[in-house]
Amino acid sequence: MIFNSFHFLFFFIIVTTLYFILPHKKRWLLLLLSSCYFYMAFVPIYILILGFTIVVDYFAAIFIENSAGKQRRLFLVGSLIANIGILCFFKYYNFINTNFSFLLHGFGLSNPIPYLSILLPIGLSFHTFQAMSYTIEVYRGKQKTERHFGIYALYVMFYPQLVAGPIERPQNLLHQFREKHTFDSDRVFEGLKIIIWGLFKKLVIADRLGIYVNGAYNNVAQQNGMTLLLATLFFSFQVYCDFSGYSDIAIGTARVMGFNLMTNFRRPVFAKTTGEFWKRWHISLSTWFKDYLYFPIGGSKVSVPRWYFNLMVVFLISGLWHGANWTYIIWGGINGFYLVFAIITKKYSDKFNSVTGINKLPRLYLFFQISITFLLISFSRIFFRARTVKDAVTIIKKILTFKGSVFNDGSAIIIYCFVAIFFLLTVELKKEFYKGSFTLSHHQNFWVRNSYYSFLIILIILLGVFDGGQFIYFQF
Amino acid sequence: MIKTGNHSFKNFLLKLAACFALLFILDIGIGKLLKNFYFRQQSGYDFLTTYSIEKTKADILIFGSSRAVNIFNTIIFSERTGLSCFNAGRYGEPIFYHYAVLKAVVKRYTPKIILLSFDAGNFSNNTDAYDRITVLLPYYKNHPEIHSVVTLKGPYEKLKLLSNIYPYNSLLLPIISGNSNYSKKKYITDNGFIPIEKTFEGPLQTFDYSKEKDLDSIKINVYKSFIEECIRQHIQLYIVCPPYMINPIGTDHSIAEAKEIAQQYNIKFLDYSRDTFFTSKPQLFADFRHLNVNGVELFSNSVIKKLESLR
Repeated sequence: MIFNSFHFLFFFIIVTTLYFILPHKKRWLLLLLSSCYFYMAFVPIYILILGFTIVVDYFAAIFIENSAGKQRRLFLVGSLIANIGILCFFKYYNFINTNFSFLLHGFGLSNPIPYLSILLPIGLSFHTFQAMSYTIEVYRGKQKTERHFGIYALYVMFYPQLVAGPIERPQNLLHQFREKHTFDSDRVFEGLKIIIWGLFKKLVIADRLGIYVNGAYNNVAQQNGMTLLLATLFFSFQVYCDFSGYSDIAIGTARVMGFNLMTNFRRPVFAKTTGEFWKRWHISLSTWFKDYLYFPIGGSKVSVPRWYFNLMVVFLISGLWHGANWTYIIWGGINGFYLVFAIITKKYSDKFNSVTGINKLPRLYLFFQISITFLLISFSRIFFRARTVKDAVTIIKKILTFKGSVFNDGSAIIIYCFVAIFFLLTVELKKEFYKGSFTLSHHQNFWVRNSYYSFLIILIILLGVFDGGQFIYFQF
Repeated sequence: MIKTGNHSFKNFLLKLAACFALLFILDIGIGKLLKNFYFRQQSGYDFLTTYSIEKTKADILIFGSSRAVNIFNTIIFSERTGLSCFNAGRYGEPIFYHYAVLKAVVKRYTPKIILLSFDAGNFSNNTDAYDRITVLLPYYKNHPEIHSVVTLKGPYEKLKLLSNIYPYNSLLLPIISGNSNYSKKKYITDNGFIPIEKTFEGPLQTFDYSKEKDLDSIKINVYKSFIEECIRQHIQLYIVCPPYMINPIGTDHSIAEAKEIAQQYNIKFLDYSRDTFFTSKPQLFADFRHLNVNGVELFSNSVIKKLESLR
């Protein structure tokens, strides 16, 4: 069941209505059952995997809390092995096996280990990380164990953020299942508005751009450099609107029922450095890696070479988290390299700025920084989007020729794409730089607000792509 | 009863009703405006579809995708047969579109001859063919005969079509273009036929047909319905597969299936897909799927000659 479907619309209306009709004590059961239904709408059997990790982590957390010393650590390690083991088996088994075969082939040997025909359970990386954050926080003593099995299961399975985040922390979400949420008209409208904006980003912008991007990236050999360059830039906006659109719908859906999920995106298009970009992009994952990987391995409070090493490790693992393909690992590596390179060259870039005087022209300097960051991130995304490393290299080579005219099939797709991006940037620019100024979306007058969102709905019906299908991040 | 907080549930319902009222008004107003301009188009692909569905009275009708639009020369067909001819094909459209247009046409009049252009892979399993039913949405309300085809698009299509704007989804720019002089200059056709001037430059591609074994039973059924409708209306139907400039491996399962079905209904299937007269002459092609103007002349004359021998 995907958010941009009528199936979900009916599901959402029924669940939300029942949620407010039912007494508070029974709401957790409704949410748990509806979350099970939501997940089973994809591949029913995979609910068993989710069930297994929930049982393991539920008891592991209790054992951790009730024990001390080495035993405590042992239970945590056991829980982590179970979670990461499942992730590795379903997501990385065939990838590891392929690379093992390649290695053996180099020595003239054949691989006796068979390949498995397994389908990746949807959202596995997301709910596994959320479950892991619970046991780690219990181990650290920052979170009390949840003794109510149903509520703990709901923490892992809460349907708005089950398959593509935001990856929540127990401190933020668990207690909310025990709070009594009364029906609040303003809050419901606030949630609905977030959902509408999310749908707009997904259907009008991301899926429209996706038509062009897929056309170019799925036929790399037949495309010229300029077409691939445009498709690469379009993909940056596509993946942002696709994923942040999903997050908005998740946050809005939860908000309608009274839950507050964490912010996942903070207008990453306007990041001034690649470091800042990662504070604005997929925040729930970035902070997860920071809290549970980067800091534990020493973070920046180590020797300088070790610091660089730590950054590279985090980004390489982040790449691997996204998918079992060398393209994702390279993508992670490039982004890690950007950060390390920025640290190494900081004094030179500062010197360049003062010599050229560009930093004395704040608006121009800002535009320059934002543009460079956007181009660097877009470049790394060639590996993120390309089907193979070979494809990615071909794309880069073709782009660097700057040859050919941009492909246009005459269906006005490019005009739609540019108008969609312009609309997005206008809205985000206003939110980023002119917060206190005139607003339509939060105008005091009900009819002005209503007209704005009605306008967005009309645009969705008129310009939305209704055959666009799944969200990109569902595959992770 | 829903438990309420500071704001009453009644207040919420009133606001929601106000939102829906505004949406409803906007939907009707903008929908009518779009409908008006859509059907006022004087050129472009949508205009040709409207003409096919609501206006043409040609004796010979040609159906098919771009391989019909670019390959069947209506002027040659008219001159050689003495009958009026219109090319009702549309770029990229599969059998669903052709069947819907046929249903709308036979409601108004009965053409004498129909040529259905068939392509390799026409029955293969892909969702793209269903997405392409979208071009029929503007005709849904006024043409109940096409409802059965439009609803193949998805289970919620009827619900979506309650909106007056939805039928014109993604059509804003084509509508503007179709009402402008720019479009009149760009889309010049001879009764729906659009020739291609360029010449095939290669390289010759190899196509492994044996890979696509799974055929879509819905597409096959609609193909059968197309044949049955022609038989019911006593229309002479000929199914033609124009040539390809490729190096084929194996048999195309769609063509084989379409031939077999045609045979069951006693309909002639003219298969040029591997006709060496054409496939040995790259200069007759614009690309691997389409003949150019030179190829079209030879092909159209060849089809007419075969039809004359069959009649």
